[in-house]
Amino acid sequence: MAKYFDVIVVGAGPAGSLAGLKLARAGLNVCLLERGSHPGAKNMFGGLLHNTPALNELIPSFWEKAPLERHVYKKVLAFMTPDTAVSLSFENENFDRPPYNGYTVLRPAFDNWLAGEAVKEGALLLCDCTVIEPVMKDGAVVGVTVKGREGELRANIVIAADGVLSFLAEKAGLRGDFVPGTLGVGVKLLLGLPEATINERFHLVRDQGADISFLGIPAGIRGGSFLYTNRESLSVGMVMYLDSLQKSGRAPHEIFDDLLQHPQVKKLVKGAVPLEYSAHLVPEGGYKAVPTVYTNGMMVVGDAAGLCYTNGINLEGINLAMTSGVLAAETAINAIEAGDYSARMLALYKKKLNESFVIKDMKKFSKSVGMMHVDRLYDTYPQLLAGIMEKIYKVDGTPRTGLFGLARKEAMKEVGLKDLVADSIRIGRALL
Amino acid sequence: MNIENLPQVTQFKTDEQPHIIIDKEVCRTCEHHACVMSCPANCYTWNEETGLLSVVYETCLECGTCYVVCDNKAIDWSYPRGGYGVNFRLT
Repeated sequence: MAKYFDVIVVGAGPAGSLAGLKLARAGLNVCLLERGSHPGAKNMFGGLLHNTPALNELIPSFWEKAPLERHVYKKVLAFMTPDTAVSLSFENENFDRPPYNGYTVLRPAFDNWLAGEAVKEGALLLCDCTVIEPVMKDGAVVGVTVKGREGELRANIVIAADGVLSFLAEKAGLRGDFVPGTLGVGVKLLLGLPEATINERFHLVRDQGADISFLGIPAGIRGGSFLYTNRESLSVGMVMYLDSLQKSGRAPHEIFDDLLQHPQVKKLVKGAVPLEYSAHLVPEGGYKAVPTVYTNGMMVVGDAAGLCYTNGINLEGINLAMTSGVLAAETAINAIEAGDYSARMLALYKKKLNESFVIKDMKKFSKSVGMMHVDRLYDTYPQLLAGIMEKIYKVDGTPRTGLFGLARKEAMKEVGLKDLVADSIRIGRALL
Repeated sequence: MNIENLPQVTQFKTDEQPHIIIDKEVCRTCEHHACVMSCPANCYTWNEETGLLSVVYETCLECGTCYVVCDNKAIDWSYPRGGYGVNFRLT
């Protein structure tokens, strides 16, 4: 086996495999290294694959070929307190036809399929390979070493798609320490439920799927929860900022029970059978936490490059990851044509990222990170909303207050003028 | 989620070489043992009487939370050897 490649891609996740596919299609000698026994064996996310033009372009009508669960037709945003739920449900017929706006997927199947597409184009996929560190020569990355194996693999260019804890980026000196304030931990339980029950319970037909986001659970911890419908299972989980989780003094699996035991959620998961429990870190530091993404001989893509953002309503990562993978591959193709693997050449990747929606969206919502660290967002405001709704609907023979007066009174009681003004400004800046 | 049932719902292929090594002396004097409470798989146990921290690497979900929350740098954490460790089948 040749130990020298044009490009080595570390990690056969969505970013790595799509990069590998693009490179192999261009006729390059590309090696895809995966630490799992198959692609997807180590990968977990909430469960939503967002519409990604870069994927559609490389694999036209991919939705007819990929192992997808359901397309997302219904979006629900639910503000929760321990005994109330105020939800906003959005059903859109435009989300019910191709190109679909998003899909629910299961990663061991999806990632395995995508890596297989790269292999079909000629990429060499090597599983059971945990990369330890980059091989450096004269200040440039020239290859990688693999745990438990002698020797090293060499390439003109290495693409680090090794996930949120990118030891490659760290060891190449592209990033600092991993810190709790910029990372969230996601825990998820996959629950089996018959297809007919899911359709009935969530008011879905055919391949329609639902995405329900819960704000306010976990109570008192900065984070959120989700429930996505797969064909015959539900992906139920939560994401919490590590610093907030640590401060709570509670264990993730205990907090997770709060979600499963919430009266509104309990009804939705009734009778479902636990199939698999998983956990993963999520880069939640936003734009400011994006490390240096290129150096001599190496580019960093996907979660490894911190390409993920949340503004409380949108949570996107997989689409940013795949797009970055393609942009890095395009850059590698140019670099190899020019025979120049220097940082100066690979800076083109950063330029492409900056010009794409990836960095544009991350910049747009860069102030959301500050907003997402406002504790009141996770308990006081759902409480406030629930209080207003209760007073609107409650009938008890006492005279009513006008809606505006009611909202003002509740807001003053729960938050106070100073914080209310400060939070309004912060939320306004973060989202508008 | 009864975390005791973890090995029944999630598949692991155990390596005889641990991928997590803790510095028990540093952990003895740690004030918070953040790893114990933060681990989603409940892998860490702190014994108040003996002053010993122990870790069960066999059911590690490889998220890395412990590594990030340990501000004493007492956890030597790496990904398991290729093919070993957690093996997601469905998620």
